[in-house]
Amino acid sequence: MIHFDNVTKVYANQNRPALDHVSVDVDKGEFVFLVGPSGSGKSTFLRLVLKEERPNSGAIHVAGKDLARLSNFKVPHLRRRIGCVFQDFRLLPNKNVYENVAFALEVIGKPRRFIRKVVPEVVELVGLEGKAHRMPDELSGGEQQRVAMARAFVNRPMILLADEPTGNIDPATSIGIMKVLDRINRTGTTVVMATHDAAIVDSMRKRVVELEDGKIVRDQSRGVYGQAY
Amino acid sequence: MRANFIFSEVWIGLRRNLTMTIAVIVTVAIGMALLGIGLMVNSQISGMKDYWADKVEVSVFLCKKNDPFPKCKGSGGVNEEEQTALRALIEGMPQVEQVEFEDAAKAYENFKVQYASNTVLLSAIQVDDMPESFRVKLKDPETYGAVIEQLEGAAGVSNVVNQKKLLENFFGLMEKIRGFALVIAGFLVIAATLLIGNTVRLSAYNRRRETGIMRLVGASNLYIQLPFVMEGVIAGLIGGVLAAVLLIVTKVFLFDGVQGYLGNSQLTWETVASVISLTMVFGVLICVLASFVTLRRYLRV
Repeated sequence: MIHFDNVTKVYANQNRPALDHVSVDVDKGEFVFLVGPSGSGKSTFLRLVLKEERPNSGAIHVAGKDLARLSNFKVPHLRRRIGCVFQDFRLLPNKNVYENVAFALEVIGKPRRFIRKVVPEVVELVGLEGKAHRMPDELSGGEQQRVAMARAFVNRPMILLADEPTGNIDPATSIGIMKVLDRINRTGTTVVMATHDAAIVDSMRKRVVELEDGKIVRDQSRGVYGQAY
Repeated sequence: MRANFIFSEVWIGLRRNLTMTIAVIVTVAIGMALLGIGLMVNSQISGMKDYWADKVEVSVFLCKKNDPFPKCKGSGGVNEEEQTALRALIEGMPQVEQVEFEDAAKAYENFKVQYASNTVLLSAIQVDDMPESFRVKLKDPETYGAVIEQLEGAAGVSNVVNQKKLLENFFGLMEKIRGFALVIAGFLVIAATLLIGNTVRLSAYNRRRETGIMRLVGASNLYIQLPFVMEGVIAGLIGGVLAAVLLIVTKVFLFDGVQGYLGNSQLTWETVASVISLTMVFGVLICVLASFVTLRRYLRV
């Protein structure tokens, strides 16, 4: 599903590579934690998968597509197959829960009938039934992140990328978020989650890929976060 | 593509940037109006040149009794022999196509028509006051130099008036007006382009959250950019409509007024309509191009 082959990324005006000869494979339906300290290259990895950045060398395949040969014109179609969740939720403050989720379908031109059918289903899947008409500022952080997950998942992507989704949420609420991610994973969606949260990684017992200074230092199935942290 | 989604986005964008939008509309309106005026003056000039091309003549006025012109001083007006010799001289010139004699009575008739409204002047002028003249039409109006030189020295001639020279002064003025209008229009087009660029930049900044999400969920570039471009198009269209109103006002009050003096009308409504559609298309095109160029810089997709 995601295939990195000897990928190196150096940002302009920086000497040290953000990713240094990284090779990794993520299969369909897998749940992968991407761990490591700040600046270790986790976010760069996610940005490369979305083709928001281009690698300096190496090849990246996502959903069977060679990103180097994917024209800019087709990048939006790649992104429709990838859902994204962030630490800061990125909801539209002037739209309610339903509208925020529907927005993701509206802007890719889905028919209204389809939107009316699938949005309530996804809102229920993330556990926000009955709150479809709340505005984001009326929701708790955990609930806002559920909206963001509903928006990321509403188009049934093959891959869900989560960049520190529990970073702004207290540990008790984080468990609920992880349950939703797990539920999404069980529908067959590949999930890649970058995180600092040792407790969550340890409790989930999923594959762990650890980055340090842009290099993979550990790739362990059913791993834990590691003693150093 | 969902039209109502695009239009609601456009409306929000225009409202958020109201002051900039108004600035764009005013600049486009004035710029396009000046461009249109330049084009209208242009069509007026070429129309008038065609109209006058076969009408310009060299008028050779003959001395009459007690003529105040220095060349006629002392003579009792032109006599029979001088007049015949003059006609022979003119007809003998290779540049001359046709020559007609206008006697005092005919000149008075023309005068009456021309100054029909000025009764005071008409009552003061008698038939005898009108000079007789030869109306000389040249094969090529450009070759007047030699003709005039020869005729001015001939006996019995009071003065020679070249209509072409008079018209050239007038055309010169028109051409200056046209040049001036087009130069100012050019500057305003530059100003409009920069203003639109700035508006789109502000708009892109205001909506960076929405466009970021649109990009993330895989909205196509067209879908993301269209609301911004439409903002430019709508501002350009409103500006174009205002320019059209200005052009119509100019046609009615300025051109039609001037044409009253010139006795014939060359600026038709068809010309005005084509000028208006041309300026409108041009205005919208500028807006679209400026929006696209700015978007490439400020809205990463």
